[in-house]
Amino acid sequence: MPIIFRRSRDVQVRQLFVGVLVGLGLFVFAWYYYALPSYTRVGYTPEQPVPFSHQLHVGRLGLDCTYCHQHVFQSPHATVPTAQVCMNCHNPRKAHVKGNSPLLALVRESYETGRPIAWKRVHKLPEYAYFNHAVHINKGISCVSCHGQVNEMPVVRHDQPLSMGWCLQCHNEPEKHLRPVEQVTNLTWQPQGNKSMLDIGFEIKRQLQVQPPMHCQGCHR
Amino acid sequence: MTPTTPIISPGATITAAPARLPDPLPRIPLVWGPDTYETITHQISRITEKPQPWWWWPAFLITSGLLTGGVLAATYLISTGVGVWGSNNPVNWAFDITNFVFWIGIGHAGTLISAILFLFRQKWRTSINRFSEAMTIFAVICAGVYPGIHVGRFWYAWFMFPLPNANHIFQNFRSALLWDLFAVSTYFTISLIFWYVGLIPDLATLRDRAKSRSRQVIFGLLSLGWRGSTRHWRHYEVAYLMLAGLSTPLVLSVHSVVSFDFATSILPGWHTTIFPPYFVAGAIFGGFAMVLQCMIPARAAYKLHNLVTIKHIDVMCKFLLATGSLVGYAYCMELFIAWYSGNPYEWQTFVNRAWNGDYTWAYWVMMTCNLFIPQVFWIRWCRQTPWFVLLVVTCINVGMWYERFVIIVQSLHHDFLPASWGRYYPTWVDWLQMLGDFGLFFTLTLLFIRFLPMIAMAEVKAVLPMANPHYHYLPADRYLKGEDGRYPTADHALAAAYGPPAPPRTIVPPATEPVPAFIPTPEGTGQPWGAVAEFANAQDLLHAAQAARQHGYTHLDAWTPFYVHGMKEAIGRTRSRLPLFTLAGALTGLAAAVTLQFYLMTYYYPTIVGGKEYRSWEAFVPIFFEMTVLFAGFFTLFALIGLCGLPRLFHPLDAHPTFHRSTQDGFFLTIEATDPRFDVDQTRDFLRSIGGQHVAVIER
Repeated sequence: MPIIFRRSRDVQVRQLFVGVLVGLGLFVFAWYYYALPSYTRVGYTPEQPVPFSHQLHVGRLGLDCTYCHQHVFQSPHATVPTAQVCMNCHNPRKAHVKGNSPLLALVRESYETGRPIAWKRVHKLPEYAYFNHAVHINKGISCVSCHGQVNEMPVVRHDQPLSMGWCLQCHNEPEKHLRPVEQVTNLTWQPQGNKSMLDIGFEIKRQLQVQPPMHCQGCHR
Repeated sequence: MTPTTPIISPGATITAAPARLPDPLPRIPLVWGPDTYETITHQISRITEKPQPWWWWPAFLITSGLLTGGVLAATYLISTGVGVWGSNNPVNWAFDITNFVFWIGIGHAGTLISAILFLFRQKWRTSINRFSEAMTIFAVICAGVYPGIHVGRFWYAWFMFPLPNANHIFQNFRSALLWDLFAVSTYFTISLIFWYVGLIPDLATLRDRAKSRSRQVIFGLLSLGWRGSTRHWRHYEVAYLMLAGLSTPLVLSVHSVVSFDFATSILPGWHTTIFPPYFVAGAIFGGFAMVLQCMIPARAAYKLHNLVTIKHIDVMCKFLLATGSLVGYAYCMELFIAWYSGNPYEWQTFVNRAWNGDYTWAYWVMMTCNLFIPQVFWIRWCRQTPWFVLLVVTCINVGMWYERFVIIVQSLHHDFLPASWGRYYPTWVDWLQMLGDFGLFFTLTLLFIRFLPMIAMAEVKAVLPMANPHYHYLPADRYLKGEDGRYPTADHALAAAYGPPAPPRTIVPPATEPVPAFIPTPEGTGQPWGAVAEFANAQDLLHAAQAARQHGYTHLDAWTPFYVHGMKEAIGRTRSRLPLFTLAGALTGLAAAVTLQFYLMTYYYPTIVGGKEYRSWEAFVPIFFEMTVLFAGFFTLFALIGLCGLPRLFHPLDAHPTFHRSTQDGFFLTIEATDPRFDVDQTRDFLRSIGGQHVAVIER
């Protein structure tokens, strides 16, 4: 029989085998790192038409979340405020806080024309997922659980994956995230006294009868 | 040997032990005619080496045309939606699952022949096992098309597998459909491994016969550098046994699990405990029919009458008769139980099925083809006339398709509520899809007989009379005759017409080029690798190896075209330790299945199914079994490759001018230079002294 393969081919085949294994491992790692919402969504920080800083308004000035997102306790949606809310302070004819600032030109224009400002949407759930802000807020889930430390964000960024698996983690063990309802908009709240977060969570779970749905129809209606 | 001590208690009447008669029936060989290792190699390899006969291309054109139709239908289905099929309320499963079950069933014959008959030492399987294993794989591919496309959104097919994902959705491990997925995937994987392991020696034969560079490279890579070393054969034989052992319960389990898809539901006509054995018997029945359907034309077209003898067809027809009657029993028992149970829903379904329904015609097609027609196989002529067998197995294939159609469509169209009764009408997409599946199957079969050896050469060589060291060669005029000089049965006369088997050859055929005493290799080190000698037959090689051992050599190896019984002991090796790896694989798979299911179903995502508690383990058992078998199969394959040190694409022995015969008809003994007693001249002389031919020392 003529010799078909060179002597070195055997080593090369083994190197190729190891290479394919390593490549496959890298692909799987890369897939689970880069292709999941924990990478594709988290960190999304679009530049907004008006450079509104939550860090200034919430963190330094102490505005409550519901001052702007007014209906979050009553409505499935946390409303995005109209220009009129901004104009409570920034109206040159009233309080005149930076009333002539060129950065607020769009707000003044919106106020006069009634056309809303085209904010860039940061958090968006798929249309087949039903989410109700009011029920979460009223059962003691804070804004910070899903939106992160907005009081420290000059520009709002996507802080959590908002994937189904991420939702389910909390639906499975809500006690890890519950707090008194009057504290849900307090983004810097910490458990007081000798009670741990978990103690409080279990207490509230019992008081408010928190039973997050674990069936498909809970969210996919 | 007569017993010397009475084994009957005192007082009982002791009758004289009957005189031990010589066996009155000469054993009919499995291969008919004067075949040798060389002629078998040539006969089978030539089919893949020469251009195909004239009919191959038209046949291929037809089957690939059907396949194209199926691909178009699938494309239309995926781009438009499953609404293009006729399946709709109440018949939501129709042609798709009918074809799925039909094809999965076809696959069972291959595994039965390759695994169960192997364990039962039914050596006649050797000439048909490769063909039927290939059919198993192609049939499972045909079946696997349906779970893939019938979800409609093909790109979500990965949802069927428990892969970690951002949605944290996992499959319901208590669902019969998930058992089915695991069973079919495991079945396909193990069948593929089994088939490939069986192919390795034959791929090496094709490599060593190859003339063109491309064939050499392709078969060289596929055969992983197999050269018939006894050190490899001893692992190989055990690996094959392990895989047969793993496949045996798999054959019985796959169609049982498929039947659970129906039997675990509450639909009248499906909700029956007889389903698992009934489905398995039906699968073997349909599978044997399909093997014969393909084998009889191939046997005639390629003149394989000496290998796939009329006795093979005869035995397979007996299998058809037995399994067909089992299936017929199940049909009758279903009907009986429907009446005997007193369940009005069950009874109305069966009355509708057998007497006055829309699908009564299909039921009687099924009964006729599966129960009544195969009864002709009680008659010898019917079993031994190929064209007649072909007609009957065609009926059986039709009947087995109708069996699945009746079970699925008839049961669904007539359930509990008269308000929800409704008929099913297949659309042209259904028909095209079904024909496309047949196209896929026969296209793959045609490609297989074109490119791969359709008969397991290495295994057939091992069952030749000449491979049996105890075979007693009778003069030609007494071949297969009884002591009275007549053929005892008609089968003996049939076999004898092919002529008596050839005795093993006693001289080594000459080399085409001179064999130098020292053979250099490319990029060699100048040091000797070892000495090699060729022998005429397996017995000579066995004796030579024993002589070398007695002479004090220890680093021996024997290179043979098939596993020669007793050779591993002759070169000083023991039984392979490969089963330990199989066991390790089985335990790993079991542990993985336990962890996977309990972690997901009771801890990570606790789900209540059927009112059972989270930890109830009974419904996890099918996947315990499947993963145990799957991992054991993988470990066996990797242990075989690892213990043999494959792939070994280059070997110094390749430089020897006649060594390519080691995978065809040559028997070689080597003594390696690592042996403490090795000496270039003395070892060479020793090998000559024990009768070795073409003796040479090979450069390392």
